[in-house]
Amino acid sequence: MTIIMSGLAIGAVYALVAIGYNIVFLSQKTFNFAQAALMMLGAFVAYMGIAVLGLPWWLVAIVAAIVIGGVAALEEVVAIRPVKDHHNLLVTTLGASIIMEGVAQLIWGGEPRRVPFFLGDGVIDLAGGRVYPVEIALVIVVVLLVVALTQYSKRSMTGIALLGMSEDREAAMLRGVNVRRFAFWAFVFTGVLAGLLGVLVGPKTYAVATLGAALAIKGFVVLAIGGFGSMWGTLVGGLIVGLTEALAARYIGGDFANLSVFFILIVILMLKPTGLFTRRTERAV
Amino acid sequence: MASLWLKLRAIPGWVWPLLFAVILILLPFIGAPYPMIRQVELTIMLALIVSGLNLSLGYAGELAMGQVAMYAAGAYAAGLVSKAGNTDLLFQLLVGAAAALVVGLISGIPGLRLGGWSLAMTSFFLILLVPDVLSLFKSETGGRNGLSGIRPATLFGEMIDSRTYYVIIIVVGILWFAAMRNMIVSRHGIALRVLKQSPVLASSMGISVFRTKLSAYAMGAIPAGLAGVLFANLDLFLSPEAFAFSFAMTVLAASIFGGSASVYGAIVGAFVLQFGMNQSTNFQEYGLIITGTFLLIGGVAFTGGISALARLLVRRADAAARAKTGYVEAPASEAIVERREGALLRTDNVSKAFGGNQALSDVSVEAKPGAVTAIIGPNGSGKTTLLNMISGFYRTDQGTITIDGQAVHGLSSFRVARSGVSRTFQTPNVPEKLTVLEAVEAGRYARDRSSILAAVLRLPSYWRVTRDDRIEAERALALVGLSEQRHAMADSLPLGNRRLLEVARSLVGSPKVLLLDEVASGLDEDEIEVLASLILRLRDSGMTVVLVEHNFRLVLRLADVIYVLAQGKVMAQGTPDEIENNPRVMEEYLGVTPEDEANQTGGHHE
Repeated sequence: MTIIMSGLAIGAVYALVAIGYNIVFLSQKTFNFAQAALMMLGAFVAYMGIAVLGLPWWLVAIVAAIVIGGVAALEEVVAIRPVKDHHNLLVTTLGASIIMEGVAQLIWGGEPRRVPFFLGDGVIDLAGGRVYPVEIALVIVVVLLVVALTQYSKRSMTGIALLGMSEDREAAMLRGVNVRRFAFWAFVFTGVLAGLLGVLVGPKTYAVATLGAALAIKGFVVLAIGGFGSMWGTLVGGLIVGLTEALAARYIGGDFANLSVFFILIVILMLKPTGLFTRRTERAV
Repeated sequence: MASLWLKLRAIPGWVWPLLFAVILILLPFIGAPYPMIRQVELTIMLALIVSGLNLSLGYAGELAMGQVAMYAAGAYAAGLVSKAGNTDLLFQLLVGAAAALVVGLISGIPGLRLGGWSLAMTSFFLILLVPDVLSLFKSETGGRNGLSGIRPATLFGEMIDSRTYYVIIIVVGILWFAAMRNMIVSRHGIALRVLKQSPVLASSMGISVFRTKLSAYAMGAIPAGLAGVLFANLDLFLSPEAFAFSFAMTVLAASIFGGSASVYGAIVGAFVLQFGMNQSTNFQEYGLIITGTFLLIGGVAFTGGISALARLLVRRADAAARAKTGYVEAPASEAIVERREGALLRTDNVSKAFGGNQALSDVSVEAKPGAVTAIIGPNGSGKTTLLNMISGFYRTDQGTITIDGQAVHGLSSFRVARSGVSRTFQTPNVPEKLTVLEAVEAGRYARDRSSILAAVLRLPSYWRVTRDDRIEAERALALVGLSEQRHAMADSLPLGNRRLLEVARSLVGSPKVLLLDEVASGLDEDEIEVLASLILRLRDSGMTVVLVEHNFRLVLRLADVIYVLAQGKVMAQGTPDEIENNPRVMEEYLGVTPEDEANQTGGHHE
């Protein structure tokens, strides 16, 4: 149970990254490599607020949401909007991510910083295993988030407009959706989310500058398994990646954690390149 | 001034980089300090890796960062061989390149199938795995502690002193960049550039998208492997940290800065990053930010990097100098059409549905050699869909398509192209950054085969094929009347000329069947005359010509047989006379009397 819960919790973190990817993917058909770096910054803000300044967690979450939302807005303006060639977004968001990592390293150094969890860091006995409260919280929050986002996208005008945009950008534009502004706010929202969740992610992963690259890639694996654009898919993907990693590390050996996830990624991409939960559409010339 | 520039330009382009390399070689002999020598050595290794990345990112158009893993493979292969007792550098270079090639193929085959983000992320993941894999074989590789105890390298049994080693590094660099340059300026390089911009166009010319990308990616493994071997023998110690994610970012930044789609841009980018990083004293602190900024600025501001900028300037200077000195273009080739071999194209009961939309049902069309077969019909009647089915872009739901009795339905589009089918596109598909001549030459890719190795080593077969490409392309340009624009950039041509360029490109590979998709729309009266007489001459030469066209008067003039499509079905077929006098076609489909139609010449876009 200890291993399973720890795997589920790290899977939840990956799923959170994948959710961020998905929102950007749906709104502008691009992929924000820096999503995980935003989350890493969120963890650092949580560290500063809770561990260094001793502020109440809810205040830290709000401040982090505003700060990281601002960073995301800046990223959109600098690294996404001015890019003419769609292919280059890959390079520019990567650049943004590297800059964030560099800045974090400059301010906080390379050592991991422990972020205390606001509900306590005591171990709980659960079904014969030792579980941290933050792990339970992460799993609950990610499920709630997916439920909320899917309901929101189905029921609200904004959500419907978002889905419409992802389906056909031009048609949405003709219907009076301000695609540009919309995509911008969707992007900022992913930053706000990354900031808010810093108080949850930080205690699990620690705040460390090099978190970005590994999280970005695992988040992508989650997306590849669950399907690009599928919210429910992120839960399944997170579950699979988190458990694989934890179980492989425990039963085969620590060096196999990444290798097993890589193996799963290759198999899934070869068998079903669009992910498990999306339908394939015929491509026209 | 202008004539001096032209004289300088008359010197082959490869002389300049070679001159630069010679100067580099001389550095230690004119008393350059050791730190500088070492920087140059590291720069050349970085340049080698960057040039491998350029092959996949700049030329094949895929961001695949596997080069760092290949670099590690080369380095560790050399280190292990050396520890096992073989210190011969040449042997190690061979083993290192082979090890890198293996990693390249293993990671390239699944990755390239997917392309785009999937490939990028899979290759990033590969870098993340390097320390894990090394630690799995801890007893051999030393795991995270690094591999020590590599013995000094030898060459033909002699020990190598540090000055000689420096020369060896530069020579390896020269050899690789010469090989890469030979490949890029050959037809394989042009094929890659076409492929990067339009996989559809590339496969319609008989280029296998997957195989071509894979060969570029795999070829990019070689310099990374070589750099690894050189690196292992430089410090005689290897640590997994040298192959980290941040190093991959440095490689990418150097590639973007120098210009990914260039040969020598790798050297420029490597120099700037290697020396730039060393100059900033607090590099440890600011390195990532600098690298990231390079990526950001490179991606936003100057696509194509320094090399694109340099090319632009050289082109401007060329044009200015030519204008001043009254440079005379070579005369056009003679516009002759040789005897050509056609093939019988048949579609039998072909049907295709997209979702619930029945685009084609039971379409049977026959196009004979030495005849123009026209397909007309209103927008959405399935004309272009039919062409796309013939060229293998869509699968048939039902029915057969044959060329001289050989079934081609179900073949991939590049194979259809290789069996002698060539086509133009409704919206002219003209790649950027190629001259008119190059764009036409690319149409011969599938025609004569000459391997990448032949291009790299400049074997006789390469020269023969290149000469034939040039002659045939000149001839095709003469046929469509574009000879004077041969050195213009293909994508700068106006619409009418682009269409003619497409015709020239589809002719140049001597196809048996030529599919022309609304080739006359957007042409002016004179251009239509050139085109019409060309089509008739091609027909008379024995080729099979299929013409999809809206210009009814032109169709009546050129066609031997006309098929009328309506709602995905063949509504009528016959000679121009029969179709012109078919009341159903006239009234139900065209909705006009023949006299009205005769006044209408302009084409419509679908």
